[in-house]
Amino acid sequence: MIQFKALLIKEFKEAFRDKRALMVAMTMAMLAPVMILVLSKTMIKEMVATPPIYLNVTGESFAPKLIKQLKQNNIYPLSDVPEDIKNLWTERNIELIIPENFAEYMEEGRVITINLRADFSEKALNAPIRRIKNQINQYAQSIGAKRLIVRGIDPRILRPIQINDQDTAQPSSNAMFISLMLGLYVLMAAFMSGLSVAIDSSAGERERNVLEMLLCQPVSTFKIVAAKLCCASTISIIGVTLTLVLTSFSVSFVDLTKIGATFNLDLLMVLFLILLLLPISFFASALQLFVSFQAKSFKEAQSTVSMIIMLPAMIPVALMFIDDKPQWLDWLPVSGQSLLMDDLFKGIPINWAAFTGTALVTVGLTAALVIILSLRLKSEKVVLALS
Amino acid sequence: MIEVNNLHKSFLGAKKKQVIALNGLSFTAKDGEITGILGPNGAGKTTCLRTLYGLLKADSGSATIDGIQVTKSPIEARAKLGIFPDKFGLYERLTAYEQIDYFASIHGLQGTVKHQAIEAIIKDLEMEELAHRKTQGFSQGQRMKVTLAQALVHQPQNFVLDEPTRGLDVMSTRVLRNHLAKFRDKGHCILFSSHVMQEVAALCDRVIIVANGKLAAQGTPAELCDLASEALLEDAFVKLIGSDEGVAA
Repeated sequence: MIQFKALLIKEFKEAFRDKRALMVAMTMAMLAPVMILVLSKTMIKEMVATPPIYLNVTGESFAPKLIKQLKQNNIYPLSDVPEDIKNLWTERNIELIIPENFAEYMEEGRVITINLRADFSEKALNAPIRRIKNQINQYAQSIGAKRLIVRGIDPRILRPIQINDQDTAQPSSNAMFISLMLGLYVLMAAFMSGLSVAIDSSAGERERNVLEMLLCQPVSTFKIVAAKLCCASTISIIGVTLTLVLTSFSVSFVDLTKIGATFNLDLLMVLFLILLLLPISFFASALQLFVSFQAKSFKEAQSTVSMIIMLPAMIPVALMFIDDKPQWLDWLPVSGQSLLMDDLFKGIPINWAAFTGTALVTVGLTAALVIILSLRLKSEKVVLALS
Repeated sequence: MIEVNNLHKSFLGAKKKQVIALNGLSFTAKDGEITGILGPNGAGKTTCLRTLYGLLKADSGSATIDGIQVTKSPIEARAKLGIFPDKFGLYERLTAYEQIDYFASIHGLQGTVKHQAIEAIIKDLEMEELAHRKTQGFSQGQRMKVTLAQALVHQPQNFVLDEPTRGLDVMSTRVLRNHLAKFRDKGHCILFSSHVMQEVAALCDRVIIVANGKLAAQGTPAELCDLASEALLEDAFVKLIGSDEGVAA
């Protein structure tokens, strides 16, 4: 116990005295709330506002009434574009081609073909195109309805069925994008925050020639690994906590009611998330130590460990594409926590069985990594790589 | 007391070629004596010492420290050892005092006993001024002192040094030498490897010459000179490792 205490105190001293590395670890946490704030603000703006759209219209004069309706709905010909955003809309180049015979066909009641030409795969154009189509359809429908009324027919005859959408999603589900980002972010924070400490205390110590001296001491490798793990994962937990606290503070500045969503991160939720991510912090640090202890140099450790960071980024994203999730995904580290976070943010009651299960599996894997690593540190290969 | 008995150790080198590092090395380092290991580069000195710490496992043969088999109970054996390793680094974010404290705690010292032990070794090595400075930027001599202090703070019965005088100036070498002599007089067993002949000649009670992973010769410096019929230990050394026929017996 004296030994373990001494090992632990030394790890903490070293970790907290390396101010620069600690700062880098914590910037991740500091940036999270800012990023979430900015992203959600812009997203809300896009979803709520109808910014002006500028169209490259050919044959404007053939359909003045249509153009008028478009203008009333913030859709203008390209000739009206203000100078500062001219380049943007010229480049986007949404073309509306109105045929010469518009008035003639309209009079005769024939189908008029209007061409809307744009790059439909461009994501930024999705909303403008949708709005243009809606306006033109509305215009066409109102003319169609008038034609029916003139002929003494109720226009409703064209709509025998009306669908009434009843969304069963919980009210907060609409805040999906925030929760998705936050979920990804805290998982990343768990993996990123302890990273520099994990590499420094393993591959770093080897490179500074202090590992050999430590391995010659009358102390079991298990204690050495456990002390290093405790230190790195503590830093990681601090990172996660900081991310969550700062985010819960910054989310209160976003007015989600504008898009009909509610999202709050209260104390209870923060505590639950910390509890959920506690095993992940240990798992992440154990994995990083495992890899970097066996790397031949600091540099090798860094590049290999950065591959591990892909894990928390890839798994939740991959999960989004799996519609019928197999049961075992609930139990695996990272994926289990990620799914539980999804449920939590959607307002679905927490599945405590899955919570305990994934925590146990994660802790079990961590323990396995620690044991294998402490056996590895006794092997000659690791010692020979010292020199 | 350190006993090494018929150690064999080989490694798989480049292109799967067997490299024999130790080929039946045996020697004894007694309590109250300074035993020097001399040998050319690649003779197997570091491999032998690493086997003593239990970092490497010998293919056959055994090493015992105060009668404890290193291979069977490495942790107990290491508790009897003070080690000054081949490559030593310092924890650059800790002060010298904290480092010595760290190693003292690893050896199970605590409370006032630990405190007194640390104070004593700091005074012994005349490093009071360094004690509360962070070790980053320490000179080679200062680094040696810190490493020496952390290896000796628990007053180990046996003390193993792997080329301790590398890169040291005369003053630092003297500090080291005086300290080793004091330690020997208290009845401890000291084993150290070196390249520097004068040092070995001045300090060692017994010298073990290792070549090609085997014992080439052993005895007091004077005996070795007689054996090779040379006046200088250096010449004796060259002669002894150059032709191991006749001498090894």
